[in-house]
Amino acid sequence: MALPLPPGLTPAETAFLCEMEMVTVIPRQRLEGLELLGGPIPPLNPPYRTPLPLWLALLLKRQRRANILPPPWLSPPSLHSILDFEKSTPSFSPPPPLPPYATTSPPFLPSATANAPPDALPYHWLELGEMLLEAANDDIPEPDNVRRLMRDLREVRMAKMRAGVGVLEGGREVNMNGVGGMEVAEGRAFIGGVVDGLRKIGASKELSRREREAEERENGIGGGEEDEDDMDI
Amino acid sequence: MAAVIQQRPRARPAHPAGPTFLTYTPNGKQLVTAGSNNVVRVYATGSDGEPTNLDDCQENNTAIAATNDFFLTGSEDGTVCMYSLDTYTYEKMLTRCTLPIRDIALSPDGQWAAVASDELTVKIVNIEDTFKVLYLRDLPKPAKHLSFDPSGSYIAASCADGIIYVYKVSTEEPELVRKVDGLIRSLDVESESSSRAVWHPDGRAFAAPTATRDIQVVSTGDGERQRAFSGGHMGDVTALAWSPNGALLITAASDRKILLWDVKTQKILARYDYPSVINMAWHPTQNIVSFVTSDGELYIYENFLQPDTSALLQKPMQPSPYIRDPLAETSGNATKVLTNGFKDTSNPREKRRGTPDSLDDILGPELEDEDDFVSDDDGAGYLDDVNGFGKRSNDHLEPIDGFDGKRRATVQAWQPRLHQSFQPGSTPWRGNRKYLCLNLTGFVWTVDQDTHHTVTVEFYDHEYHRDFHFTDPYLYDKACLNENGTLFSCPPANSNPAMVFYRPHETWTTRADWRTQLPAGEDVTSISLSDSYIVVTTSTNYVRIFTLYGTPFRVYRQKSSPTVTCASWRDYILTMGNGPAGGDGSTKLLYTIENVKRDEVCQSEDIVALTEGAQVKSVFFSDNGDPCVYDSTGVLLILQHWRSPGQARWVPVLDTKQLERLASGRKEETYWPVAVAQEKFHCIILKGGDQYPYFPKPLLSEFDFKIPCSNSTALKDAEDSSVLEGPKLEELFVRSSLMLSLLEDLVSSTNATHSQRTELSRREVEVNKSLLQLLNVECREGEERGMKALEIVGLMRDPSGKMVEAAGKVAGRYGRTVLQEKIGELAEKRLLGVEDEDL
Repeated sequence: MALPLPPGLTPAETAFLCEMEMVTVIPRQRLEGLELLGGPIPPLNPPYRTPLPLWLALLLKRQRRANILPPPWLSPPSLHSILDFEKSTPSFSPPPPLPPYATTSPPFLPSATANAPPDALPYHWLELGEMLLEAANDDIPEPDNVRRLMRDLREVRMAKMRAGVGVLEGGREVNMNGVGGMEVAEGRAFIGGVVDGLRKIGASKELSRREREAEERENGIGGGEEDEDDMDI
Repeated sequence: MAAVIQQRPRARPAHPAGPTFLTYTPNGKQLVTAGSNNVVRVYATGSDGEPTNLDDCQENNTAIAATNDFFLTGSEDGTVCMYSLDTYTYEKMLTRCTLPIRDIALSPDGQWAAVASDELTVKIVNIEDTFKVLYLRDLPKPAKHLSFDPSGSYIAASCADGIIYVYKVSTEEPELVRKVDGLIRSLDVESESSSRAVWHPDGRAFAAPTATRDIQVVSTGDGERQRAFSGGHMGDVTALAWSPNGALLITAASDRKILLWDVKTQKILARYDYPSVINMAWHPTQNIVSFVTSDGELYIYENFLQPDTSALLQKPMQPSPYIRDPLAETSGNATKVLTNGFKDTSNPREKRRGTPDSLDDILGPELEDEDDFVSDDDGAGYLDDVNGFGKRSNDHLEPIDGFDGKRRATVQAWQPRLHQSFQPGSTPWRGNRKYLCLNLTGFVWTVDQDTHHTVTVEFYDHEYHRDFHFTDPYLYDKACLNENGTLFSCPPANSNPAMVFYRPHETWTTRADWRTQLPAGEDVTSISLSDSYIVVTTSTNYVRIFTLYGTPFRVYRQKSSPTVTCASWRDYILTMGNGPAGGDGSTKLLYTIENVKRDEVCQSEDIVALTEGAQVKSVFFSDNGDPCVYDSTGVLLILQHWRSPGQARWVPVLDTKQLERLASGRKEETYWPVAVAQEKFHCIILKGGDQYPYFPKPLLSEFDFKIPCSNSTALKDAEDSSVLEGPKLEELFVRSSLMLSLLEDLVSSTNATHSQRTELSRREVEVNKSLLQLLNVECREGEERGMKALEIVGLMRDPSGKMVEAAGKVAGRYGRTVLQEKIGELAEKRLLGVEDEDL
């Protein structure tokens, strides 16, 4: 193989995709609108709030030309309630509802702007939260508390993901609605490995079963062949 | 420097050496002391004989509290015992803790006892039913002191971690309302030094000893530091007590001194030399102060105040020492209603008869019982502030000590309630700061430094403007800020008349700022700054218009008076004043809009449409130049068709009470209007019952317009998305039509730019689009909705006929053939121009 990387996205790549997310910015100085390949950037006019892609917002933030307005879900009360939900139910907390007639997917959904729903974690919650905490520490209320809650959430959800793998053995499926992009990237190697391992263990059994079935078919009894290779995760 | 007083009272050996505590009963008849032995002593006031002793009490008492009928002692063994004062016997054990008791506070009604122990929770136990217990749980360390406020609705716990926790206990569950950090020292619970927060008898503030051995007063309402009693003690403060009327404060410290302070001036009136005083108490009515020392000695100091100062004790209830007393001044932005016979509440009187300095005593003794209107007759009436509607809440009716409870009738003639003048975008003083101006350009705030103010102007756009800061000897109290400059005004002070000061941000000459003094006796009621003119309304009802560089341009008297406020945008100015009295007893608010340059009056003395009792909170022009008003009911109104006389009407564009964020009912917040720009309402969200924004600079929030068309909360419950969609689109239609008409007016009255014209056609399309979507919904609903669908098509503004054609197609797509035919007929009629223009 020419590419030494494992299949799937690396965390850096996921973070890169996340930088396409729109965030709300309060500019501190004027900027003409920009016509970029990725779409036009509206003119910045303090103190009007403007939606900008995260990469540009971070750039302006680092240059102290703008303040980033953290999305409503990145606040201690919201994270608290989500964390409580995660702790109380075996499934992941649901993703934000799609706007009506939406045909886009993350990162093109307005899930990290100031108007985002406060009670749901969007697809890029982990990487977006980390990036904002790192770059726009001073714009986030109670950053230490937020960081701690993010950490708690991440651990609870990773634990759930690992627990879900245990179920896979029986050939059942795990509902992963609401799992974030970074979590998928993180869990992919592990879950993929487990599934692959399971497949290998099951392969000899499968082989003998197929042989037996073929035999039976030859003997005229017959039976519908089911392909159980693709386990849904 | 006051003389050291002789004539010492004798020390009464009350208890063995050790921590000793004392308290007066509220009626002042008895003084109860407890100490480290197992005897509690009760001294009768006025008799010099032996006290009554209660033997066989707990040893090592650590706290005492008394009502007229009983007293409580807390001891190191963790028990709180209750003793009767009638029979001088043990009654019951109120509660017990696992660790030593540290303090006991009785609520003013004597129903509840708050008990602090070395445990981390504070118990508030009901006296009658000791199983009824409330807990204060948020303390990270044991509480050292507890004190109830005079109304009994708040309790302050001085915690050993150096923070004062203020709880509201009037509710079922005590609620932590404020943490006051950095005020007291973190003291060990057994330390003799005190960190007690002692409430001023008026309940608006409490005082606590600081680490610098000062006594700092903190207001209850906002937790701001007010005046301090500083520079008195050389040792740690061990005890402090307000005089019953709040006019005097005594403090004792480990520097062997007792100091007597005048609350009003924060000066030391007298010093007394008594070593190791650890607790003090004023007699509730007489000129007696009692204190105990750590040697267990009790001093009952009769005639504590010398004749020259004892008059202070006779005074009625004195207000707590605020830096900026919200009651002492009528703040510029107060939306306060003048009640009948309104009086200055800054000098509240508890009892009118016999007050040494009451002017009313001299002027009108025969009106004694009548002339004092409801404003302050309860002796603590300044507890509550004027609420958002400019009316007093009735909280102050609760009986408080010294309240005679009698409502007095008024004999004064009826007077209409006036709208108070205010400066849009400013806040009243809070602590020693206030915002002079807050808008989308930036904000101007000032800090009171006693002799002068310091004014800071900050901008949102840090690149385009530079923030500046100056010391202000003129004490400016109003300001306006825009892209070009800053305008200030100051009230007349001493012999100086009122003044207006303009400072442009950019200049190509060496000096561009100017000051103008108004004629003597004229005060500025509001100022406003536009791109081309400066407007000043004054107390003599003049409207003075200056050009940007100080040339007086026009002076005229406003027809409606007294003036309320003004706003301006380019050449247009809007002035507001009180008109004739309306049916609800308050004056009608009238506005006038005129174009200064063309000298044209657009609207003359038209009415600002307010609901009954409502007040204008702010008035400003939107970025497109439409006048907007935000009223105290939380509705944002915009003025439509205001350029043609007589045509203007106020249209509600947002009702903040119906915002979706409030729909859950959990949030309690108000909105402080800042501006209307880009079809959004920019405001500051205020939480926790705040009325005005404060420091640090709050974040601006913005809300889209939403014309209140239908009940939005009912829509929330609707499952069906199409049910939800219809009203939304209807609202969109009304809103886009309004925006279209506002823009049409603007374009027709000015030399419209190209972008404005394209914007106009875009808006037109938007209106039609909302109608098409509405039609879509109606068609989907079914054949029977055809009548409404046809009506919607009739509403379309569509000279080209394309939209109606599109509407026909929509009908066709849903297979509504009859409707499609009718739409076709309509289109034909329109094309021929035979449609009925007016019904």
